Amino acid sequence: MMYEYFKEMASGIEAKILQEPDLPNPRKKYALATARLSSRLYAGKDPVAWGGIAVPFDLLNAMGVTSCFVEFVGAALASSGMADPFLEEAEQAGFGGDTCGFHRSVIGAARKGIMPEPDFLIASTCPCSGGIAVLENLAHMFNKDLFVLNVPQEKSEQNVQYLADQIKDMVAFVAHHTGEPLDEDRLRRAVEKTNTAREIMQDMYRLAQKVPSPTDGRLLINFGIVILLFLGTDSAIEIAQAYKDEFRARIDNGIQGVPDEKLRLLWIQNRIQFKNPLVDLLENEYKANIVSDELNDIYWEPIDPDDPFTGMARRAISKPLNVNMQSRIRHLQKLARNYKLDGAINPCHWGCRQGTGARGLISDGLKEINVPVLNLEVDCMDTRNFAEGQLRTRLEAFVEMLENR
Amino acid sequence: MTNTPEHIAKIGYACAYAPMVLIDAAGYTPYRILPMSECPDQAGQLLHDNLCPHVKRILDRAIGKDLPDLAGVVFINSCDAMRRVCDAWRQVRPDENIILLDLPAISDDAAVAFFAKELARLAEALSEWSGRTIPNNDIETSIVQYNHLSELFARLRAKLRQGRLPGGSPAMQTLYNSAMTAPFEKSLTRLRQALAELESKTPESDGIPVFLFGNVLADPAAFSLFESCGARIIEDDLCTGSRLFTALEINGNEDLLLQVSRSLLTRSPCARTFDPAQPLKMAADILNRAQACGARGVIGQTIKFCDPYLDRLPMVRETLRQAGMPLLLLEGDCNLRSIEQQRTRIEAFIEMLG
Repeated sequence: MMYEYFKEMASGIEAKILQEPDLPNPRKKYALATARLSSRLYAGKDPVAWGGIAVPFDLLNAMGVTSCFVEFVGAALASSGMADPFLEEAEQAGFGGDTCGFHRSVIGAARKGIMPEPDFLIASTCPCSGGIAVLENLAHMFNKDLFVLNVPQEKSEQNVQYLADQIKDMVAFVAHHTGEPLDEDRLRRAVEKTNTAREIMQDMYRLAQKVPSPTDGRLLINFGIVILLFLGTDSAIEIAQAYKDEFRARIDNGIQGVPDEKLRLLWIQNRIQFKNPLVDLLENEYKANIVSDELNDIYWEPIDPDDPFTGMARRAISKPLNVNMQSRIRHLQKLARNYKLDGAINPCHWGCRQGTGARGLISDGLKEINVPVLNLEVDCMDTRNFAEGQLRTRLEAFVEMLENR
Repeated sequence: MTNTPEHIAKIGYACAYAPMVLIDAAGYTPYRILPMSECPDQAGQLLHDNLCPHVKRILDRAIGKDLPDLAGVVFINSCDAMRRVCDAWRQVRPDENIILLDLPAISDDAAVAFFAKELARLAEALSEWSGRTIPNNDIETSIVQYNHLSELFARLRAKLRQGRLPGGSPAMQTLYNSAMTAPFEKSLTRLRQALAELESKTPESDGIPVFLFGNVLADPAAFSLFESCGARIIEDDLCTGSRLFTALEINGNEDLLLQVSRSLLTRSPCARTFDPAQPLKMAADILNRAQACGARGVIGQTIKFCDPYLDRLPMVRETLRQAGMPLLLLEGDCNLRSIEQQRTRIEAFIEMLG
């Protein structure tokens, strides 16, 4: 049933793209890739792996494994308005409401039998303790083998080597389960594609930095996280190129992402995944544009095709959600300068210890460079806890404060 | 710095994976920063409300200057909350010597080797802070000393199981707290005194035997509460209890830090450390320990917002249910009041066991 659902969704998006073949259609191409990935997860053809966010998906793509981080499923459920029953299912099974909704919804979905059965799982200690625990639960639930990547916090040579060695062991683990050894040429091509996509994304982000920005508060939702799933494939290149072309065309034609853009905002960490009116409110009533998301950035160096595991290890360690808070704040400050931001919104996702845990430190860090932060108390996954009125009031007060500066 | 026990400089730590023996070998007293304090709640300015009350309480102590002089602090990257408190500590006490050691979530050979390198990094930092290189002999001596403490604690635990420890589990926790924060010699004296007192005392306790597991529970008054409800805590698996005082397994041949690393990573684990080949084995481990010590029920006491435990408790509940081992789960916030509020539940649980 799920396979058919995603297959139909993919066909529908494909048809829409074909209606406007000359347009870049970046968001549609991005949606098409995610629908195709989702249908492959349920197709029962390729080996399927569930993973953590820091898993090198380009390597798995090169090994013919269809994979995604489990939070991808949680986000998909929430964005389609289907997460609440699964959250409830997990809660009834004893998974407390204080834990992360991304993880709870996945546990609920697995218990309800709507998660496709994985062939194996690969957990990563980055970004959070909850993520690795949910994979341990899923490994137990599906009775499948679990591999763990320990991602150290500091990017020292010793730590990079430790993670690179683990990635090498991961290759042996995957090959053991798929019965297919790693094809070195295929990996080289995958790494080259990752590097190409990386370069295009870097250009695309530079274009998004223009004042006024060609992007708006919706175009790049979840982009920086989800694109990682397509690295090593043509799909990542095509999507990144479509965004770049779209932004180039908008700049050349004087089209602004948000007409008469007045305020430029940064969204920290996760977006609210279910339908909500906050972005509309910001754009329509205040001409405030979310031009940057924390995770929409290139934070890693190109990967050397002759030494791919080292490059992948560096990339994982460099993730903004993995490094210490002082480094993460430096990254946020860099975004604030590059995007000429007026303010930042930090949705303190209930249940996220690693991200929102340091709410005050992030506020202080951005305040240092004169960028005010609005901390919103929100559960990015759970509509049951969405206090629209309160959030609206707080956003309005924040934007009015920014306007008066 | 003089060498009398009271004047030995202290190094703070806040996690049971911190290598006390290395701190001791470097000439410092390992000082566990316990979440027990009357200082006002200020950590919320830096850390979110939904973060572990344990780390917020110890940060309160840092902000409220409710700490002895520390020559440095050793943090362990054991969970999100520990990572964040280290970040916040850097902001609150910017001039303090601080190190964060990465701790793998598993304990295979590669993880053990990696953590050994982290321990070497700590040894280097401690040497830098003290101006004195730590000779291997000193590490060996500290291991022998702390293993001796663990051995004495094991003897006390045996008496506790038999109901023959004067003062019961509150007294035991008081000894743990002292040994976590005091110089070795002082701890040794206290433990010897406690053992000597055993000889002259008669059996005393007759509560219902209960196995207690969880993360942080350091206040002896909490144990008094359990006992006043009719429970007799005969064994614990807490990071502020027995877990910290389990002997390190050392033999003559292998690299010393590698052995310390292996011992720390393989002793009774916090929920955050697991064996991927046996997912959620923690649940079976708890059941086995409860059955082995003769407990009639199990109390799980965890700190609010602790993901490593919260996400694994459903399996613990299910495993114990299937085995017919009664379980009471309590959630605390490092404040005695929060446990006091659960007195009725504890009493009902013990009555049910009786």
